[in-house]
Amino acid sequence: MKQTDSLGGLSWRDRAVLIVLPVLAVFVTLAIGRMGLSPLEVLKTVGNRISGHAAADPRADAVVFSIRMPRILLALLVGAGLSVAGCAFQSLFSNPLATPDTLGVASGASFGAALALLLGFNLIGVQVLAFACGVAAVFLAWLSGSGRGGINTIILAGIMIGSLFSALVSLVKFTADTESQLPAITYWLMGSLNSAGYSSLALGAPPILAGILILYLLRWRMNLLPLPEDDARATGTNLRLLRALTVICATGITASCVSMCGQVGWVGLLVPHICRMKFGSNHMALVPASIFAGSAFMVIVDTVARSATSAEIPVSILTALVGAPFFIVLMRRTEGWQL
Amino acid sequence: MTLSVENGCFSYRRGRPILRNIHFSVGPGDIAAILGPNGAGKTTLLRCAMGFLPWSRGRSCLDGTDIRSIPHRRLWQNIAYVPQAKNTALPSYTVEQMILLGRSSRIALLAKPGGKDLEKAGEVMEKLGITRLKDKKCSELSGGELQMTLIARALVSQPKVLILDEPESNLDFKNQLLVLEAMSALAAEGMSCVFNTHYPAHALQRANKALLLGSRGGPVFGETHSIVTEKNIELAFGVRAVIGELETPERVLPDVVPLCLSGGEAPEPGGGTGREGPRLAAVTILAGEKRAAEEAGRILRGCRDFTVGRMDLPCPGRRVTAESVVLDAPENTIRELLYRLNRLPGISVKAVFQPNEKRTENSCKE
Repeated sequence: MKQTDSLGGLSWRDRAVLIVLPVLAVFVTLAIGRMGLSPLEVLKTVGNRISGHAAADPRADAVVFSIRMPRILLALLVGAGLSVAGCAFQSLFSNPLATPDTLGVASGASFGAALALLLGFNLIGVQVLAFACGVAAVFLAWLSGSGRGGINTIILAGIMIGSLFSALVSLVKFTADTESQLPAITYWLMGSLNSAGYSSLALGAPPILAGILILYLLRWRMNLLPLPEDDARATGTNLRLLRALTVICATGITASCVSMCGQVGWVGLLVPHICRMKFGSNHMALVPASIFAGSAFMVIVDTVARSATSAEIPVSILTALVGAPFFIVLMRRTEGWQL
Repeated sequence: MTLSVENGCFSYRRGRPILRNIHFSVGPGDIAAILGPNGAGKTTLLRCAMGFLPWSRGRSCLDGTDIRSIPHRRLWQNIAYVPQAKNTALPSYTVEQMILLGRSSRIALLAKPGGKDLEKAGEVMEKLGITRLKDKKCSELSGGELQMTLIARALVSQPKVLILDEPESNLDFKNQLLVLEAMSALAAEGMSCVFNTHYPAHALQRANKALLLGSRGGPVFGETHSIVTEKNIELAFGVRAVIGELETPERVLPDVVPLCLSGGEAPEPGGGTGREGPRLAAVTILAGEKRAAEEAGRILRGCRDFTVGRMDLPCPGRRVTAESVVLDAPENTIRELLYRLNRLPGISVKAVFQPNEKRTENSCKE
């Protein structure tokens, strides 16, 4: 909690914890799964890969690098991305209930994916169409909401566009073939990371990484977002540009996440709030904390989702089951929520 | 730098006009007070003047250049805005972090503040006497502390024009004084200040220029003592008030005391203040600071035309300059001179007027 630098960045201790947490989570979860590996075996396998030696145990190598690694990488990206996007939207709208989906990006992406599944596209096709529709939804919301009304009009427009696309998703479901397409669409909408592969990552990771990087660089300036509009403008910041950048980054991140693994709810709401309670609302600390805590949280939750029972549990259910009680405990122990 | 508004008019879409024919200008060292009843559009006027709201007609200029043609960042390096201190839902930044946000116009979009910015924030806190608050959270500040923090946030960008929205509202006696003193000190260093206020007395005591809104005869702007008059107060606020003088051992301060709501018959707009006639006055000045003495001398040299006699009185062994001046001029002119002298830091000024044969409104109260 003690902050060492006057800009409100994280203390060295917090930084160390936040970096070690996801790294540790990755190593532990690489070992967990249907084929049990000891952490030592994981280390050996990874070491062999890095040093370029032939794999000592080809089976372990295949499990670690072809099956678990892409999924864990995806979880890292999605966790970090959704958390930082949620954090950005909460500050942008000065609203504790804002999530990455506030402007309708997830509904838009869901519609894109459902449509692609209905039309029988392959996985990459689904991903591309989902991303495009997610971005289009936010663009529509921004277009219809921006004007004289201020930021709240944009939220309202976002909610409207979101419900519009939800209705379109229902329409697609209604017309889908109940034998094969409808289950596929329904499972996709529940959200799962099991479609993770290097090719889908190669396509989906750049928008997420770029978005995270820009938001990270903007973190000091983001402190202006929760201030009253006149105050923020009077500091000489181009507020419209700052808001647009924030929305573009958060949208790119969320659309890309949803296009790869469906709607993963809760992460974008829970993790930023947990970080706010722990590190305060200064974005110098909040943005990096959300990135690292979100990635660790997602890796752990996804590992539970895929290995707790023989059938995989949809990850959205777990994020809520694990996150909500933890959130409530923390909220009661700290001074409660603050922006 | 001079901020001026030329023929400013404003109305919301499809609404009735809120502001009409606003003219005012503040130059270096000026303090302009904007007065008016609730709902007269004081805050709207400031927001229009800074470009937060578009004038429907007219324009705001900075040194003659329309502010709409000045790049956003450059504009806000030169002017700064102090909003009303409202404690509602402030993010929990520390005072220092909050002040640093004021440096935004001097920091690149993707960068964060560096050593120079921290140094500047430290200087401003030192100057305003709030260094002790440095690590306190903004959400835990008192109203006065928050207002000083917001002033610091405005000053840290090293502006030339400072715009304050009701800086002393909701503050107690002491904090009002702290805020007003800070403003006067800044003006004495050459800052151009504009502030909204609910207190005509603060306008009389602090500002050399005043803009009165809500008057039936349209907005009026000019030297404070000719704008903040009993007649104009009655016209704008519908309140009968007395402008009196509070005498302290050092100086005479103007004060405004509201008496009662004015009855149906409001006075006719326009007309003089009843102070146009020539009068004789003896002015005594004691200046404790060398700078004030020099400045006073400069002002007095400017009214040589109606100086009857002037005498420097040496006071050996004391660091005080004493002067006595007898003037023969219209009372308005003399009062204006007194105003300018009174605004100098570290100075005591008093005037004695010649007895008036006609017992006018003013002499009754003296």
